[in-house]
Amino acid sequence: MTGSTAVGSAAGGAPPAAELRGITKRFGPVLAVDGVDLALERGTVHAVVGENGAGKSTLMSVLYGLHRPDAGQVLRDGREVRLGSPLDAIAAGLGMVHQHFRLFGSLTVAENVVYRAEPARFGVLDRRAAQERVAELSARIGLDVDPTARVDTLPLGVRQRVEILKALHRRAEVLILDEPTAVLTPGEVDSLFVVVRRMAEQGTTVALVTHKVREVLEVTDRVTVLRDGVVTARLTTAQTTAGEIVEAMIGRGLVPAVNPRGAVRGDPVLEVDGLRMPAAPGASRVQDVSLRVSAGEVVGIAGVSGNGQRELVEAVVGLRRPESGGVRLHGRDLAGLGVRERRRLGIAYVPEDRQGMGTAASLSVADNLALGHHRTPPIGRRGRLSPRALRAQAAELVRRLGVKTAGVAVPVSSLSGGNAQKVVLARELHHEAPLLVVEQPTQGVDVGAGEEIHRLLLDVRSRGGAVLLVSYEITELRALADRVLVMLDGAVTAELDAAEATEEVLGAAMVQAGRAGSPAGSASGGGER
Amino acid sequence: MSALGQRLRLGAPAALVPLGAVAVAAAVGAGVMLAAGVNPLLGYEAMFRGALSVSNIDFAVAGFTAILAMSLAFAIPARMGEYNLGGDGQLVAGGIAAAAVALYVPGPAALLLPLCVVAGMLAGGTLASVSAPLSTRAGVPVIISTLLLSTPAVALTSYLVRFPMAQEGSPVPQTPRLPDAAHLPAFPGMSYTNAGLVLVLAVLLVTVYVDARTPVGYEVRVAGANRGFAAYGGLSVPRLTLGTLAAAGAVAGLAGAVIVMSQPFRFIDDALTAPGYTFAGVAAALLAGGRPALLPVTAALFTILSVGSAGMERDVDVPRQLGQVLQAVVILVLALRVLATRWIAARARRAAGGRA
Repeated sequence: MTGSTAVGSAAGGAPPAAELRGITKRFGPVLAVDGVDLALERGTVHAVVGENGAGKSTLMSVLYGLHRPDAGQVLRDGREVRLGSPLDAIAAGLGMVHQHFRLFGSLTVAENVVYRAEPARFGVLDRRAAQERVAELSARIGLDVDPTARVDTLPLGVRQRVEILKALHRRAEVLILDEPTAVLTPGEVDSLFVVVRRMAEQGTTVALVTHKVREVLEVTDRVTVLRDGVVTARLTTAQTTAGEIVEAMIGRGLVPAVNPRGAVRGDPVLEVDGLRMPAAPGASRVQDVSLRVSAGEVVGIAGVSGNGQRELVEAVVGLRRPESGGVRLHGRDLAGLGVRERRRLGIAYVPEDRQGMGTAASLSVADNLALGHHRTPPIGRRGRLSPRALRAQAAELVRRLGVKTAGVAVPVSSLSGGNAQKVVLARELHHEAPLLVVEQPTQGVDVGAGEEIHRLLLDVRSRGGAVLLVSYEITELRALADRVLVMLDGAVTAELDAAEATEEVLGAAMVQAGRAGSPAGSASGGGER
Repeated sequence: MSALGQRLRLGAPAALVPLGAVAVAAAVGAGVMLAAGVNPLLGYEAMFRGALSVSNIDFAVAGFTAILAMSLAFAIPARMGEYNLGGDGQLVAGGIAAAAVALYVPGPAALLLPLCVVAGMLAGGTLASVSAPLSTRAGVPVIISTLLLSTPAVALTSYLVRFPMAQEGSPVPQTPRLPDAAHLPAFPGMSYTNAGLVLVLAVLLVTVYVDARTPVGYEVRVAGANRGFAAYGGLSVPRLTLGTLAAAGAVAGLAGAVIVMSQPFRFIDDALTAPGYTFAGVAAALLAGGRPALLPVTAALFTILSVGSAGMERDVDVPRQLGQVLQAVVILVLALRVLATRWIAARARRAAGGRA
């Protein structure tokens, strides 16, 4: 199970479908991958796990011909291949589904799938043959996709299936899935895993790049763990535990942060009464939602994405006007107040959409940390802004939250997901607002950083802050919330005390939500951002 | 790596590109001159002499004043990602307003000078402000509405100087000469170089200060980087749009006022728009790449190109249009730079291996 895989064919038996030997890759001064061996046995699902920056994406990019390694070899079925570009990789039977899909939104599913390998008649694209080919492929692996649908009308989960079909159409025998679940709802994740298993049974080799341990345990056969560019563990999924994987990933054991419950409880901070909003293009409806968050309390909102959570939150922070119903902060009615006034009255907000809302990727870390603090001392004073104070505050916040960055002058786009999220949190926590509204605080964040973020949120609670937490992760809600409300189609369908909110009860409510519509994909509805 | 080292590393290529654009333009110009049988060295010498020799510098500085002002009129809203292409309209609006005040309001210089300048700034600012609600309420892009509003404004001033405000008996559509009290004081020994330069330089200083040292400047930059982030932080994008456009229009209006309050002290139809100050200003702002402090340098370059090319035509018989060609080449190279940055960014993203 250890170094023997590196020898591959020498061990006897069939050579691995794909193999990397001694891969080293540096970017400038950064050693991203250092002498890594990886063997993907035919027909297996192989997890490549590690925190952001561990080198897993770089390694997969080498396998897919996106990067040329500084040292090492790539082998397909035991023969060395030279991959100058992804085109070489495709020719060698490799396929990759990227985190950000590479599809033409205005073309149909079938047209996207056959792109660059079109069935043609008289030099013209044969649409019917393309559609038949897609139908046949999707039937083979049990994917439900309409070949004639325009891609930009499809939910993200379905677009991902189109990417998978595209790779299979090009006869990929080794398929790399790069963080495939990052964009999916829980229902979509389940059906993706069914497809992954089916592909493996049919002989396709799947490399699953992820940092979510639960997924590793659920769907893979083998695990290779990377940390800081080197392999820290090679495991067989059936014989390992979540703890073992996490320890290899972050180099230490993980003590999950858990709400101690029952302690501080104060006056109501946020009160929402009978909130209603009609459905609109790109927005779900909200039906008569009432809730209350008190000082020293974390109230969780559970549910599948797209069931009105975002609209509820936006009505609270002032980004969206409700049709009827009231929002009160410390008993004061917030009707008619915009974001700026509400923030001044004491609302801090960590949004789900980190790139579109939570940060300005092109601005520096310092500028990102200053938003909302730029008119108050020490940064803003009497209509002036002190760049020095702005940098000093940024440096202090970066230090306090342990944000890993090359400095406060570099753009946020250079940070990993977890560190960008810490920037958002640092800025919002620095308001010391009585109410903190948080959406998906650990989405796209490493295990280690996620745990730190959980601790920060619980610190807010223990200092007497009120926290409204929207999450699609049941484990996160169970760890953090005092009470959990389940939202389904814009209404609160269940309210549970932390003690009652077991995984089964919550999961049932959310799964019910997920299956209430049709198959997993469409359940997300307007949930995409 | 030290913060300074980091900045130098990031800054170096960013500064190289505009320099490269100018170098490429110069090379293209040299090629054209060679093809026309002119020694490029002599041609460029004539161009520089046309702008900077003792006899020409006076006129060139007036051109510099206008181009610098128009580069500010473009650069200020560009800071938040809005593009003001209506400089011509704002320029003539300011010019006609200043001329009207000077012609119809009697008063001493101490009163009339500031009044004319303020009227010009108000007129330009008001015209540009119209585009703000059009953008934030009606969804008409600023780049379109400013450009479209410019044409009627130019046409209206053209009507005004032909009929109600025309100088009777003049073959040229122009206003009468403004009273002496409305003449901007010129520098000693100069006739074109006057207090207008000081006013525009003051506006430049204010712009640089506001950009770097005030909360408003910060908010404009934030709105320019990501509108969603700005709205999330409680910034009022409509108000920022209105503010930057009003400021931009006011600077353009100031340029118009300065032109009519300088030699020959009239609003002459076409005289404000024909020299192409607006687009020379756009080019200068693009070349400065969103750094207001660089505007004087780039504006000076475009002044030499546009004012000096007349001297080049006179001395070495190369058509003055070559100056416009060179301006266009600079912009083309800058446009290629956008492609290049995208290409570099894509490479960097791949190098980072898609780390989120």
